[in-house]
Amino acid sequence: MLSIVGLSKRHPGALRPLFSELRFAIGTGEVVALVGESGVGKSTLLNCIAGLELADAGEIRVGPDALDMLRLDETARAALRATRIGFVFQAFHVLPTLTVAQNIAIPLLLSGVTPAEHPARIESLLLRVGLAGFGPRWPATLSGGELQRVAIARALVHRPALILADEPTGNLDPRTADEVLTVLLERVRDQHAGALIVTHSQHVAQCCDRILTLTPDGLE
Amino acid sequence: MTTLAWWLIRAQFLSRRTATALSMLAIALGVSLGYAIHLINDAALADFSRAMKSVQGEPDAIIVPRDSAGHVPLALIDEIAGDESVALVAPVIETRVRLGRVPTAVKLIGIDVFSAALLMPTLLPREGAATSGGIFDGGLYASPSLLDDQGLRVGAGATVIRGESRWETHIAGDLPAMAAGEALLVADIAWVQAHFGPREGVGELRVRLMPGSHAEAWRAVWAKRLPPGLDIRAAADNAARISNISRAYRVNLNVLAMVALLTGAFLVFATQLTAVAQRSTQFALLGVLGLPPRMRLLQVLFEGLAIGLPGSALGLLLGYGMAVGFTRVMGGDLGGGFFAASTPTIAPELLPGLGFFILGCGASLMGALYPAWLNRIQPLAQALKTGFAQRPPGQASPAIHGRRLMLLAVAAAIPLLISLPAIDDLPLAGYAAIALVLVLGIAAAPVATNLAFGAMARAALPAPLRIAVQNVLQAPLMAQVAASGLIVSFALTVSMVTMVASFRTALDQWLDAVLPAPHYMRSKGLPLPAELLAAIERPDAPFARIERMATGSLSLDPRRPPAALLVREIDRADPGARLPFTGAVQAAPEGRITVWVSEALQEVHGLRTGQALHLPLLGRDVEVHIGGVWRDYARQFGAVVMSTGDYRALGGRFEVTDLALWPRPGSEDAARRWLATEAARHGIESAESGDIRRISLSIFDKSFAVTYALEAAAMLIGLFGLAVTLAASVWLRARELATLSALGFDRAMLARAVVFEGALIALVGLALGLAAGIAVGAILTHVVNPQAFHWRMPLHVPWNQVLPIALATLAAGMLASRFAARQATRLPAAQVLAGAQ
Repeated sequence: MLSIVGLSKRHPGALRPLFSELRFAIGTGEVVALVGESGVGKSTLLNCIAGLELADAGEIRVGPDALDMLRLDETARAALRATRIGFVFQAFHVLPTLTVAQNIAIPLLLSGVTPAEHPARIESLLLRVGLAGFGPRWPATLSGGELQRVAIARALVHRPALILADEPTGNLDPRTADEVLTVLLERVRDQHAGALIVTHSQHVAQCCDRILTLTPDGLE
Repeated sequence: MTTLAWWLIRAQFLSRRTATALSMLAIALGVSLGYAIHLINDAALADFSRAMKSVQGEPDAIIVPRDSAGHVPLALIDEIAGDESVALVAPVIETRVRLGRVPTAVKLIGIDVFSAALLMPTLLPREGAATSGGIFDGGLYASPSLLDDQGLRVGAGATVIRGESRWETHIAGDLPAMAAGEALLVADIAWVQAHFGPREGVGELRVRLMPGSHAEAWRAVWAKRLPPGLDIRAAADNAARISNISRAYRVNLNVLAMVALLTGAFLVFATQLTAVAQRSTQFALLGVLGLPPRMRLLQVLFEGLAIGLPGSALGLLLGYGMAVGFTRVMGGDLGGGFFAASTPTIAPELLPGLGFFILGCGASLMGALYPAWLNRIQPLAQALKTGFAQRPPGQASPAIHGRRLMLLAVAAAIPLLISLPAIDDLPLAGYAAIALVLVLGIAAAPVATNLAFGAMARAALPAPLRIAVQNVLQAPLMAQVAASGLIVSFALTVSMVTMVASFRTALDQWLDAVLPAPHYMRSKGLPLPAELLAAIERPDAPFARIERMATGSLSLDPRRPPAALLVREIDRADPGARLPFTGAVQAAPEGRITVWVSEALQEVHGLRTGQALHLPLLGRDVEVHIGGVWRDYARQFGAVVMSTGDYRALGGRFEVTDLALWPRPGSEDAARRWLATEAARHGIESAESGDIRRISLSIFDKSFAVTYALEAAAMLIGLFGLAVTLAASVWLRARELATLSALGFDRAMLARAVVFEGALIALVGLALGLAAGIAVGAILTHVVNPQAFHWRMPLHVPWNQVLPIALATLAAGMLASRFAARQATRLPAAQVLAGAQ
């Protein structure tokens, strides 16, 4: 689902690269944790994979057709994100002015799924993340755990090949974090997607299939 | 994608109802003003053309004398009638008379009924059933409007009066084809000529050419053959001339409408910019989820359009309503005096309506363009984490020396523009200079802020004030936007107040100069009755001094309306005692006819004191000497003053139309009573100079009332912009303020910091707005007014109005800052610092 080869990145003006010659892959249904100290470049790596920042060299191939993110222009990268990648963030980022169902429908609209399919897909995902009947509700009426479940549903609704999650449980209490993590891992595996989860939590990392540690010298 | 765009537009409107509604209203205001001005003027022009066509018919050529005392000689009529290209000639005498003691002057048209039947069928009379004798027996025929307005009855007797001439006749019938609203009388041309002249010719000759003749070529040939006192015109020239003379006035009104539209665009800009800033995380999320960059730009433009579409549609409705209401109350005149008698019917017009609709939507889109572009270039990952970047990477503001160079270039272009002449009578370069002054004011804001507060930042200041100074000095985008709104709105207000005050002060002083007598009498262009003129000179009349004047007209350029000819009892050796000269006066050379021309005439024809000028006078070409140029705010199309001695020397008949009267000392009350009695007896106007001054100033104030409404709207929009942008600025700096809170700033200190910031921005905005406003006022006074209307006046800045407005704006700006400060102190510091959104 994801293949990284020779990936290097240096911030403008920095003396040494943030990372260089990174190489790893994530397979179908595989969940990989990315850990490392603060400032080592985990979020930058995630941004590079998503095409939000440009790496200086290397290849980032996403999805079954293995398009190279680095060779695409801005619009094509956006299209690739819309069809192949799902995102889960620490800060939930659920749009407060749209209902839960509308929030989840965004990736369907962006990836061109026919509107007739939307209600069934949204209802089905809400059921699977434990929020059946929450479609018409406004985000302001939801708890943190519920908001993150909405975010997970949104990340999966368009059946992406890859899920990128940045500290998905960072804003939640341990019990809610456990529930949310379980939902996330189950749904990713259900859909045979790959997932890369950036986390500082050992517990989260332990729940993943594999752990990658990013250090100033590269991946371990 | 359209579903998502619609969801976001709906959410945006629901969450920002007030700002959105105000932006729509501002766009609607601009569109409505422009559309209403267009509808009123178009209808008035159409009405004027229709009325003219009904009286004038549709001849191929019209031959007219160039001055009001001239005529078309009978010999010329025969010569033209004998031209083989001519099918028909229709002689006409048109004059103004009074019916009995009714004070209103009425148009009397003398026609040759046979030629009129073919060329001017709407003037054909219908005999009344109960009357004896027809048009050849000296009967009068009244239009239906005149019959209704003056309660006339067919068959009744009528006394027609003009100066010393009096004609006892009767109303023999009516004019069934004359359109409603046209009040006029028709009689046989021979009868009119016998009673009111001219003896040796006719007032006008209308010519119909043979089918297949080339009218323009025929007119060109005859233009060379005509005697110097005559002009030849096409039928459409009069309508075109009226359209041309009102054009500068319309353009000026349309510029005001465009200013209103631009303030609407600014409001859309402020609203959309703050909306983009506050939703930057949401847009970043959509970008991360795959919304293409083009769509992030288009989404904000769609939102701008969603303000512009209903705003423009509402503007068209309001504009139509305003036009209908305005014409019902004020007639078809827009205040310029061009169509004072017209009450046209307003009808919505599709194409111009569509044009104004597109203009409104365009203004709205223009307002949304920069916020849309900023939204397009926001770095997604950073915006998702830290919110709106006021200066996205690679978009750093130009260096201070680069900015100074730009300011110098703009400043250098302004004197160049104001030195350029009008283009086709329109002060386009002056308008461009005004736009550059506003650009200069906005661009100077960061430099002025550094100059004003740079030293302050190094001084020991209380913590809230230091925070405010630092923030203003860094000139973030929001502070610049807030200052820009105030600069433009305050500049427009100051410029309008300055222009109006300059004009009013000049008018006041001018009235002093032109109204030296305590009493005036006039008969609206008609000669005063001989009986009155005799009575006023009798020893028992309570007047110590009387000055007489006769008014006429003359045409120096057939494309322009005629100038006024004022024949006055004036001392040739000391004309300055009666006329407010603008410069040196040259003594009248012995034996030469001397005239004094008004400033408007000087500007239009490029005249100067001392030069010789050829004037059409008494049907011939007369060379006169220009003795001086005087200021005249009453006659926009120019005036020529000549002494009665010179006029009589030329052979002119001095038919008095106006009187200036000085009562004998101690007889003031008797003079007042005498004038009231005589004015009523003869149906003429009498007024004291104080009344004329009061009425003149009141008319002036009324005609400029709309500018006060625009000033108020501009200031409200500027203040709203300040409140919105400051609130957005506080929202964007939530973390900074929360940090200050965590570091020990209490709520009062935070509030003070935000209020100080608002006050500092308002001070910069007001100072630059004041400077720009005075500059714009000077351009309006010294460039736009003289070029568009030929009115010159000294600049007068009314500090007693400007300073209170500035102080009130500062206070209102601080109040607006209080609103932002309240938001700042309500932010849950702990939550903000934790980064939850």
